[in-house]
Amino acid sequence: MATYDAIVVGGGHNGLVAAAYLAKAGQRVLVVERRERVGGILDTVELAPGFRAPGIVHTVGRLRRSVIEDLALARHGLSLVAPPVRAFAPDPDGGGVVLWADAARTASGLRERSSHDAGAYPDFDRKVRALASFLAHVNAVTPPDLKSPTFADALAGLKLGRAFRALGARAVRELSRVLPMAVADFVGEALEDDLLRAAIAARAVLYTAQGPWSAGSTTTLLTDSAGNDGGAPGQTVFHRGGPGALAAVLERAAKSFGVEIRTGAEVVAVTTRDGRATGVALADGTELTAERVISAVDPKRTLTQLVDPVDVGPHLRWRAANLRQPGRASKVNLALSGLPTFPGAEPEHLRGRIVIGPGIDHLERAFDASKYGRISEAPFLEVTIPTLSDPSLAPEGQHVLSAIVQWTPRHLRESDWAREREGLADLVVKTLEGYAPGLAELVVARQVITPEDLEVEYGLSGGHVLHVEPGLDSWFAWRPLIGHARYRFGIPGLWLAGSGAHPGGGVTGGPGANCAREILAAKG
Amino acid sequence: MTQRYDVVVIGGGHNGLIAAAYLARAGRRVLVLERRHVLGGAAVTEEVVPGFRFSVFSYVVSLLRPEIIRELELPKHGLEILPLDGTITPLDDDYLWRVNDHGRTIRELRRWSKADAEAYEEYGKLMAEMARFVKPILSMVPPDPGRVRPREWKPVVDLLRSFRDLPQRLQHTFVQLMTMSATDFLRQWFTVDPLIATMSASGIIGTYQGIQSPGTAYVLLHHYMGEIDGAFRAWGVPRGGTGGISEACGRAARSFGAEIRTEAPVARIDVRDGRAIGVTLESGEEIRADVVMSSVDANQTFLRLIEPGHLDGSFVRELKRYKYRGSSGKVNLALDGLPELACKPGKGEWLRGAISFSPSVDYMERAYDDAKYGRFSRRPYIDCIIPTLVDPTMAPPGKHVMSCFVQYAPYHLADGKEWDDEMREAFGETVIDTLEERFPKIRDLIVGKQVLSPLDIERITGLTEGNIFQGELSLEQLFFNRPVPGWARYRTPIHGLWMCGSAVHPGGGIMGANGRIAALELLKEQRRGRKGVA
Repeated sequence: MATYDAIVVGGGHNGLVAAAYLAKAGQRVLVVERRERVGGILDTVELAPGFRAPGIVHTVGRLRRSVIEDLALARHGLSLVAPPVRAFAPDPDGGGVVLWADAARTASGLRERSSHDAGAYPDFDRKVRALASFLAHVNAVTPPDLKSPTFADALAGLKLGRAFRALGARAVRELSRVLPMAVADFVGEALEDDLLRAAIAARAVLYTAQGPWSAGSTTTLLTDSAGNDGGAPGQTVFHRGGPGALAAVLERAAKSFGVEIRTGAEVVAVTTRDGRATGVALADGTELTAERVISAVDPKRTLTQLVDPVDVGPHLRWRAANLRQPGRASKVNLALSGLPTFPGAEPEHLRGRIVIGPGIDHLERAFDASKYGRISEAPFLEVTIPTLSDPSLAPEGQHVLSAIVQWTPRHLRESDWAREREGLADLVVKTLEGYAPGLAELVVARQVITPEDLEVEYGLSGGHVLHVEPGLDSWFAWRPLIGHARYRFGIPGLWLAGSGAHPGGGVTGGPGANCAREILAAKG
Repeated sequence: MTQRYDVVVIGGGHNGLIAAAYLARAGRRVLVLERRHVLGGAAVTEEVVPGFRFSVFSYVVSLLRPEIIRELELPKHGLEILPLDGTITPLDDDYLWRVNDHGRTIRELRRWSKADAEAYEEYGKLMAEMARFVKPILSMVPPDPGRVRPREWKPVVDLLRSFRDLPQRLQHTFVQLMTMSATDFLRQWFTVDPLIATMSASGIIGTYQGIQSPGTAYVLLHHYMGEIDGAFRAWGVPRGGTGGISEACGRAARSFGAEIRTEAPVARIDVRDGRAIGVTLESGEEIRADVVMSSVDANQTFLRLIEPGHLDGSFVRELKRYKYRGSSGKVNLALDGLPELACKPGKGEWLRGAISFSPSVDYMERAYDDAKYGRFSRRPYIDCIIPTLVDPTMAPPGKHVMSCFVQYAPYHLADGKEWDDEMREAFGETVIDTLEERFPKIRDLIVGKQVLSPLDIERITGLTEGNIFQGELSLEQLFFNRPVPGWARYRTPIHGLWMCGSAVHPGGGIMGANGRIAALELLKEQRRGRKGVA
């Protein structure tokens, strides 16, 4: 008899969420994590003694509310901070656009840049919320079985249909129009200030290999706002102690339900018998058996590296091998001896996400470079100074600045990451210096996490933070692959619970929770 | 005296003529009004340089629906399509040549990559299967996503059923075609860069997108559909240039009794009590009709021909955000002799097909990058054909015509620049410079030229912003969103006013499906005993 009901491969947030739900329902669950600590992209790293920074992601406000409640995360130390400012996009000439949680406040601040936008913004915010609310329904359901729809599919379809109709005919038509649209057009139709457009559009391209003019990027934007309080400005919620502290909360919650967790244990294969997953083999030779194996690692790695090709079959393996994982994001963390000054901005404006990407064309040009395997000299940065919300992350009076550098290709055509590592930090400091003069002198330590590091250290194939590029070709009933979007993955007994599954990447816990629900429903 | 018709069709392009032919065939009294002296809209042949006849805008035909050719008996009316011989992509010291003969193409590809040659066969079969599946979409009337009406939705439900019954690999491919970039899609099979670049090129024709932009795989399929109807010999150049198609359509329409007037520009669609009652010509002449069928684009139809006040504000707002963004230009050359390629000298059959300036994915992307920021490509993608090699009547003996479709030439230029004479000249020179890199000494052969910027295309044909498809073929402007969500069923908010051009489903290209479906839909509606809006 198998030792476990389920073995979860990979202890990222989705793996932990799936495990916790299953254990809560009484299953014996083991999570196997390759690294020494769980969390995956929910990571806090020490970049210098006393300075702690986000390893990758900045904010955790997309975490599904039902996950927080069902797993009683508050009891295990969930501690969220949501500053009133969501994002600040500095103007290279000083000042900038401030997006507040309160749309009316944002609108009144926009007045001096554009009276048109001051009038249009609240409507735009409402529209984003309305359209995103429908996507929240989409994200909550298991994609239907397109081959032989079941009664449950019909019910889910009905529910979606109801939610769709509740939007009203006008919004329904609008949704069908905007989902495949380029985000540059979506914001451009409503708003005129280029800085404001870019501040909003930036969320649609973060971590992706698409630019603001790429068709379908509006879907990414709306998905980012789905099921949370994001609206037009997007969510900005920090976890005290950094994202890694949220991983610790999830770990405690999972353990409280009886989940067993093994770290420092790399799964090298999913074992099979008669084409069915029977357990996993670890790098040290240990074999563990389970009724089912749940992969929370990316789908390409799962099917092309962990499972025997004979069991996967040549066609599915070909499709899996063609999953697009063009990693384009890197990370630069800076330890600062003091708070940088952005001329024209109050320190309060710096508490959210700071979007360095002044204009749609600026973003697009930064993206262009990556098409040719280069890093733009004028990259787009999403910056946070988490110490403004959580001073414990640095010695008193000092700060941590964390920058996601967008469109840094995993594979550089004319160089490699070993050579570019320091150059990337220089580029970030130089770029920021242009907005916050004097910042360079505050830097006391720096740390670079390249796309190669993301692949090698964090196990993200292609260095892609979202596991699979969130294009329209990988969405809903075809994420990651048509016929394999219902969390049952590739071979009997194997399931997919990571960001490669619907509803996709980002710290939502959605794929993990949906997968666990399917497993429990299948057990019946 | 005002004249009365059952239907007056605005615009004598191929779709207008085809709609008129179907309506006349059903016994309707039909009048077609064309602004210019020549029929065809963007499908015209004109003698621009004495002795040389150019297919001025549209230059090849691959999409014309076989059922239209059949039902309107177009061959009887003079339509003859002369096949083109494949595509050659000239490179610095080499070339990539795909011929209509499959076996030879495979041999040529094998020279580049054995794997790609194998994949090419597999890919061809897959695309043929795919085209068969999507074909019904081309004759479908899109439903309104905002309403649940079983009758409207039935064709879509049927399509979903047939989708469900497809093998998974075809479902997978279909979804990819509807969502991916042409290049990403093709990279699943191919590795040879010039092959990917050249095949991807059909994904960007007429769009303001790059070959790596999501959504372009659809346009690839859109263009592929013609090629699989090979039995109808539908891929090639019409004898006498693309005007040959329009003339055949015009003759067919007349044979069924339609009246056609050229040099009859419409000034206004007359609307009374929310209903179209006819049109007024620029000459002041009033023409009355039960139905006005517009084959011109949505911008022309609603914003120029209809007086403000007849349309509600939200409809107008939606019209205004509909994207045109013309992105291509055309250069037609009169040549004293046949040019030769540096990479493959001689006057062989490789010149009898398309000559594609698409040497690499990067080249194509750079061309797009220029356009994105509001300038014409410094090294554009050019799709070049020499129609005189298959139809010598187009030029004096021994002389040739070269037709160059050039992308990108954005309608909107940055930095306050405009498409003035100087800009057109610079554009023409860039194209000739680019040609000269592959066709050395071509400059010495040029005895006449016609350079058309997107602004010229707009001025001559009336196509808004010079968009050859009457609106961009981007995903959000297809099917039930074309041209305005809720108004994709060929009807409009004005009773008795219908649309039948490329502005409505299934979009652009010399396909004719738009005109045919609109006409049949109108007839169906009239049979149901109602007129105007459903």
